[in-house]
Amino acid sequence: MKHHKTIFVVLISILLGFSSMAVAKEGNWKKGRIYYKMVCSECHLEKAGGKISPSEKTKAEWLDYFEKNIHGPQDAPTKYTASYFVSKEYRESIKNTNRAAKKMLKVPEDQLLEDVKAFLVHTAKDSDQPSRCE
Amino acid sequence: MTKRAKKVMIFKRFERFWHWAQAALIMVLLFSGFEIHGSYRILGFEDAVTLHRAMAWSLVTLWVFAIFWHLTTGEWKQYIPTLKKVDAMVKYYLLGIFIRAPHPFRQTMLRKHNPLQRLAYLFMWVVISPIIWATGWAYLFYAQWADWGLDQYLKLEDVAFFHAVGAFMMLTFLIAHLYLITTGKTVWAHMRAMITGWEEIDPNAKES
Amino acid sequence: MKIPGSTIFHICRISLLFVLLSGSAYATTTADHTKFKQLQVHFNSGPDVTRTCIKCHTEAAKQIHKTKHWTWEFLNPQNKQRLGKKNIVNNFCITPKSNFDHCATCHVGYGWRDDTFDFSSEVNVDCLVCHDTTGDYLKSGDNAGHPKSTVDLAYIAQNVGKTSRDTCGACHFYGGGGNGVKHGDMDDSLAVPDRDLDVHMDAVGPDFTCSTCHKSIEHDVAGSRYMPDAKHTDDYHVHRRDYDEENNAHCRACHGNKPHKKADKSRLNHHANKIACQTCHIPEMSRGGIPTRMTWDWSTAGQLNEDGEPIERKVDGNLVYSSKRGTITYAENINPEYIWFNGKVRYQLLTEKVRYNDDGYVLVNEFEGSPYDGESRIWPVKVFRGVQPYDPVNQTLVVPHTTGSDKASYWKNFDWQKAVAAGMKSAGLPFSGEVDFVKTQMSWLINHMVTPGEGAVGCNECHSKNGRLKDIDGIYIPGRDADKTLDAYGWLIASMTLVGVILHGIGRIISYYWSKRK
Repeated sequence: MKHHKTIFVVLISILLGFSSMAVAKEGNWKKGRIYYKMVCSECHLEKAGGKISPSEKTKAEWLDYFEKNIHGPQDAPTKYTASYFVSKEYRESIKNTNRAAKKMLKVPEDQLLEDVKAFLVHTAKDSDQPSRCE
Repeated sequence: MTKRAKKVMIFKRFERFWHWAQAALIMVLLFSGFEIHGSYRILGFEDAVTLHRAMAWSLVTLWVFAIFWHLTTGEWKQYIPTLKKVDAMVKYYLLGIFIRAPHPFRQTMLRKHNPLQRLAYLFMWVVISPIIWATGWAYLFYAQWADWGLDQYLKLEDVAFFHAVGAFMMLTFLIAHLYLITTGKTVWAHMRAMITGWEEIDPNAKES
Repeated sequence: MKIPGSTIFHICRISLLFVLLSGSAYATTTADHTKFKQLQVHFNSGPDVTRTCIKCHTEAAKQIHKTKHWTWEFLNPQNKQRLGKKNIVNNFCITPKSNFDHCATCHVGYGWRDDTFDFSSEVNVDCLVCHDTTGDYLKSGDNAGHPKSTVDLAYIAQNVGKTSRDTCGACHFYGGGGNGVKHGDMDDSLAVPDRDLDVHMDAVGPDFTCSTCHKSIEHDVAGSRYMPDAKHTDDYHVHRRDYDEENNAHCRACHGNKPHKKADKSRLNHHANKIACQTCHIPEMSRGGIPTRMTWDWSTAGQLNEDGEPIERKVDGNLVYSSKRGTITYAENINPEYIWFNGKVRYQLLTEKVRYNDDGYVLVNEFEGSPYDGESRIWPVKVFRGVQPYDPVNQTLVVPHTTGSDKASYWKNFDWQKAVAAGMKSAGLPFSGEVDFVKTQMSWLINHMVTPGEGAVGCNECHSKNGRLKDIDGIYIPGRDADKTLDAYGWLIASMTLVGVILHGIGRIISYYWSKRK
């Protein structure tokens, strides 16, 4: 537990280091939650084999998932990267059917990625409050 | 020697339009009305209500014209009741029609309805219609009862009851009416007259 | 040019709505708490934080002291019943009495363990539980409302802000002991609802928070189930601008009495005389994918495994049997029940003898209403049915001491007599020593998870023979009610006419052929 927290703190510090002085890039988990629930889950529920709960993975596993940047089952990955699904290109492609994607169309890609990560870490299996799903 | 049958224009163009439009409206009103009443579920309550309201307003409009037409042309007199020869008519439908006896009534331009018809139509105008219209208007403006102070006098239950009473009467009238169409000189004679306006008048029949 | 008053009013209303909306989710304020030196310290405890808060927010704790969130007490002015969480019994976890260490997790305070709790203490007010914006403030489940030791209180304190669906939901989504358990219209799917789930709280739409409707004045939050506003009364009451308006957490506060503007829907406005908005606009309970509990039978609790240990059985992740709690059933996407309700609620108090309804249930709360009293409307309710302990000698409901790990705790020892004896002693109530079980029923108004218009309950669902309102009496519903005698005679006469003309026609056909044969 402590260990993961350290990893997380280190990671955030690195991210902060990389970002410019003016804009802190710490993700907003509440914004990430909206995107995860209304874009990610929406599609997973309808097309991609059911819901995936944030509490299915630990914080480290989630961060590792984005580190590898492979979307889909790790043994049979899809042709897309994980970050493709927060890209403006992707949001643009579904904006007519997904209100959340449309609403969040202008959010910078890396910012949105951090938001989603923040949410997943916030509610991961080893977080203080694993979300049942969504 | 018999004279040749003579064709007479009995039903004028507006009259025929009025008749058929009204017939269609009444049938749709009955169909949607009994659905609202809860007798069956075909269109769904909401669509039945929408249809019923639209047809009711159409009928109101049609009647405005029809009343105007009847008054200006004097045709309203066609519905003045008479008991003369009613017994003959009843006898005809109960007996004469089966033995191909001559029809006791002779249609003319001035008297297009036989005495039974006159009574039936009069019943429709003075009994069925007022019931349906009075309750129908009340039903239609249910939402305004409170504003108009009517809610202390009227109950939706009673309004709906009498509206349905009227509807059953209308339905019964319609069934009888549809059948009586076939009792002309030939099965289709009355129908043809109502469509084309022309009725074959038998010049040999006695003037009544 | 003269502009009608209603137009001006409408414009004001819309502008107000925008002001409210713009102030939601990520509002900026004029005070950045991260810059406050007073908060850049180490806090040892919750009260430690509050001590700092009230140095500037001098009246905040005093205001909280007057609210139900603090007192857990409510005196019903209509029937003088002393209610509130502290006093009433329900048929979920039954009562917090004798269980405060656990139950006070949802108290806006610190340290309520028993009667010795000091309700006049300002530092014991928990500011953070409502004003946290980080989502990291968590109360310990068994420490009388104190936060978990892992919580970084300084970080939380530096990031306080307005209340949110998350902060209110931290308790209200989990009423009855778990997500969505109690209400049927509130669970954590409302943290980020989409438009279908709740048209107002839609996270990428209007994004209402709870307080958009449950507006507070001096920390007192509007809207209470102890005395709901169920009547059909006039006028807008937008957000308690009228201070005489006690409660405006209702639809008409913003929508008025004629909310259906489109011509083809305008007749629906009239329905509001008899039907609450919720009846049509909340088509089902638990629509967010999280089931709500429907029944709870405490009498089956206490079954242990071979090793004498408590067991739990789950179906689809939902607890269906637990030695500690008994047998539980769930439902989601389910129609509510409908009742006439005028806003008056009477509770079965612990000091009263139990009263049974016709079905043999004790009504834990009784919703008053009638089609004839001129003030009732048809409301959707979740009816929760249970079996819970009572005292068969004194004929009263009882307080079981369930939580904790002491000798009398039911969850530790599975002995009802001991648990109830301890509970009743703690509550200062008489107990005969005998425990039996009684069927109980409790009703909950359904108010949330409001669907957009297109998802509302359709006409057919009530205007039909076996529709949603089939058990509602005292009202004529076209399509459901028709005079049976009239129908019998009407169809008889019509069909006799039909038979008559058919026979007449057959007669004519026969006579026709008969005459030809001759």
